[in-house]
Amino acid sequence: MSGPNGMLYGGDEIGALVFDPGHHSLRVGYAQEDTPKADIPAVIGVGPATHIPEPEEKVPDGNITQSGSKAGNELRHYIDVTELHVPRPHMEIQSYMKDGQVDNWDLFERMLDYCYSKVIRSPSEHHPALFTEAVWTTRPAREKLAELLFEKYQAPAFFLVKSAVLAAFANGKSTALVVDAGASQTSAVPVVDGYALVSAAARSPLGGDHLAMQAKHMLANMHIQMLPIYSIQSKEVIRERERGRYTLKTLPAGLTHSWQQYMLKRQYEDFCHCIAQISESPYDERTAASVPGVHYEFPGGYHQDFGPERFKLTECLFEQTLGAAHLVCAAAGACDADARPALWGSVVACGGLANTGGWVERLAKELAARAPSSHRLKSHAAPNAIERRFAAWIGGSILASIGSFQQMWISSQEYDEGGKGQLERKCP
Amino acid sequence: MHREVFALLYNDNKELPPLLPTDTGKAYKQTKAKLGMRKVRKWVWAPFTNPARKDNAVFHHWKRVSDESKEYPFAQFNKLVSIPSYSESEYNQYLKSEDWSQAETDHLMDLCQRFDLRFIVIHDRWDRAAFRDRSVEDLKERYYGICATLSKVKTNPWSNSVTMVNGEKRTYHYDAEHERKRKEQLRRLFDRTQEQIDEEQMLLTELKKIEARKRERERKTQDLQKLISRADSGSTPLVQATNNEGSATPANVAANIARRHDRKIHKKKLTSQQRPIRAVETVTVEWSGIKFPEARGTGVWLRSQRMKLPPGVGQRKTKAIEQELRLMNIDVAPMPTEAICKGFNELRSDLALVLDLKNALDSCEYELQALRHQYEALNPGKTLTIPSSICSTHTDNEAKPAVGEIIDVVGSPSALNATI
Ligand SMILES: Nc1ncnc2c1ncn2[C@@H]1O[C@H](COP(=O)(O)OP(=O)(O)OP(=O)(O)O)[C@@H](O)[C@H]1O
Ligand SMILES: [Mg+2]
Repeated sequence: MSGPNGMLYGGDEIGALVFDPGHHSLRVGYAQEDTPKADIPAVIGVGPATHIPEPEEKVPDGNITQSGSKAGNELRHYIDVTELHVPRPHMEIQSYMKDGQVDNWDLFERMLDYCYSKVIRSPSEHHPALFTEAVWTTRPAREKLAELLFEKYQAPAFFLVKSAVLAAFANGKSTALVVDAGASQTSAVPVVDGYALVSAAARSPLGGDHLAMQAKHMLANMHIQMLPIYSIQSKEVIRERERGRYTLKTLPAGLTHSWQQYMLKRQYEDFCHCIAQISESPYDERTAASVPGVHYEFPGGYHQDFGPERFKLTECLFEQTLGAAHLVCAAAGACDADARPALWGSVVACGGLANTGGWVERLAKELAARAPSSHRLKSHAAPNAIERRFAAWIGGSILASIGSFQQMWISSQEYDEGGKGQLERKCP
Repeated sequence: MHREVFALLYNDNKELPPLLPTDTGKAYKQTKAKLGMRKVRKWVWAPFTNPARKDNAVFHHWKRVSDESKEYPFAQFNKLVSIPSYSESEYNQYLKSEDWSQAETDHLMDLCQRFDLRFIVIHDRWDRAAFRDRSVEDLKERYYGICATLSKVKTNPWSNSVTMVNGEKRTYHYDAEHERKRKEQLRRLFDRTQEQIDEEQMLLTELKKIEARKRERERKTQDLQKLISRADSGSTPLVQATNNEGSATPANVAANIARRHDRKIHKKKLTSQQRPIRAVETVTVEWSGIKFPEARGTGVWLRSQRMKLPPGVGQRKTKAIEQELRLMNIDVAPMPTEAICKGFNELRSDLALVLDLKNALDSCEYELQALRHQYEALNPGKTLTIPSSICSTHTDNEAKPAVGEIIDVVGSPSALNATI
């Protein structure tokens, strides 16, 4: 922390943890590291405990946690891909997130249990915990989280920061207009001097999930079948656009609809990651056709080139009145005139969806067309996909390991004395 | 950044690290490695308290066992803005307002403390459920009003909004009306749509056209007037020509040609006169710092635009100028009042010139030394003494050669050779 010549360096690490819960996944890891330790799908499989006797059962406090000890009605919770992606009869997929915030607290507790026991592998009493939150998180949800952390997990200290603020920090800025294109939604939040302007934030439901839905429709219209990958036993190599030849696996009976849909959604997402591309200017059949296609092979073996479809698919993301560019304009327009030049001067793009090919370029172009000409426009995005997707987490990691931040935590003493009412004051 | 790298940048003796390997000593096997002369200093996961915290919470971090437990070093960054406070009776006596209730005022002061007077954030977090919506200017007006009142009546005012000038208290006065007007203008400027801007542009070019036409007409009438007067005085019979507008009458044409010719000659004379002087000056012109463009042609604009460096100035130069400004303790983006704009631009222009000159001087110096070495290499045994008049190294106090001289040297490298 201080150097040989008396200089004071910025960092002081106190073993804090950073949690970034999202609709797509929950990111968790130690502060001051550059990527999260784990990126766990934000859904939990809930199924009857009796069906699969596996060695894990010896460890009841693992990722297979036991609950509901009512006889015969035991439920098990399956967390993280290795558990979740196994076909299990009667396992329902449930999400604990809703509208950008935690909604189902019982399930979220399971998730935190899993994080502490399997990812961090260290008791929660030893680690201050910093959580990210969306700007529109309601007061009850914030207070519930603080209560959970202090009372159940005995965390020594706790803090909540708006994810837009952290994304700005991760990009080295304290004033920025942060565009976050996540799974459930896309949002634009102005950040001034490290404070998010809550009343000026704008959002729309055009996120990665929407794109996956769009891909599903597109493939259905093209009469291409997306077979669930877990159902394929083997497939043969075939020529392009030929009918797939494959054999099916025998699956356990009683696979739930929610689980099948969840697995399919992941496949559509994968399809999007591979082929989706955003054209720099609004979709145009001819220019789109001139770009070389991308090959994709479906689980059943069927494969073909996708050309103009790649651009057509993504056009919905830059829709006129809900698209990212519109959100930015709306958010900037809702800010005080004095703040606007600085905000237009640093538009920061982050979130997983911003990794789609051409997304950042398209945003920059649309903003250049829409931004008032009296402002100097500069948009900024982290160079690599990891840093974009984990921007909020990385910002939290930076913040929680800064020496002068250590006075900001709400300590357990403070919580005991002041209760959860002080959350609004301490974590603005 | 790793601290080793950091230490390379800033070490105690302010010397730059060598670019070439300087280890000219004996080979490695002869020097005895002196590793482990000092004992390894242990690190421990130790508890600490942070004086910047009010609750004495104990956190843990890694620290050297040998490090004495001193105060948490980061506590020194805990800076707070001092916000005035008032008692119930003070409020009732001095601060009562028709527009503001005490609850609302308290809320404002609370937000000011929490957000360190960032009024944009305060405005954002304003409790709109409990109080009516207020503009940033309203909030500032109330806050600075309170500051002013309290600093007058209180004996020991808080520090930041009161300055003592010659033992006399001075308070900031916040001109809310002016600010509101400014904000409104700013908002209108920013909210213009592209069509409006285009329209304004169009109107401006139209205006220019109209003015050009008007000038043309005026010139024509003047010509006419001249003709008339000439006709009146002379015996030219073409008085009617004034009536038929066409300028094709021979006299008119002649007059026109004559005038044009006249102007041409005039121009020629001017240039030919100037040329010999220019020849000296041209060099100076090249070095004349930064030319800030006059008003941009696009209608309404902010005065701060005038302080923008023109695009011709490269990034390196911009950085260098900013660095110089910082050394002089001058804000790199000062409040753009008329006078400041002018002074600031002049200063930066001069700075750019100075930087250019410095560079030129450096390269001359370098060339001089290079030539000296070359000379000495070619004529072994001889040394070249450079006359002190053209050698300015390490003589900061010595009167620097006049600007003109240096430029001369740079302008003609042959001159440099000649001097040697
Ligand atoms: N490399 C990639 N290319 C394209 N899309 C990607 C890529 N990686 C992730 N995505 C998409 O980004 C989305 C996830 O983004 P992110 O992790 O920011 O969401 P989240 O924070 O969990 O959700 P939310 O912000 O809505 O709560 C998913 O829809 C995923 O399909
Ligand atoms: Mg997110």
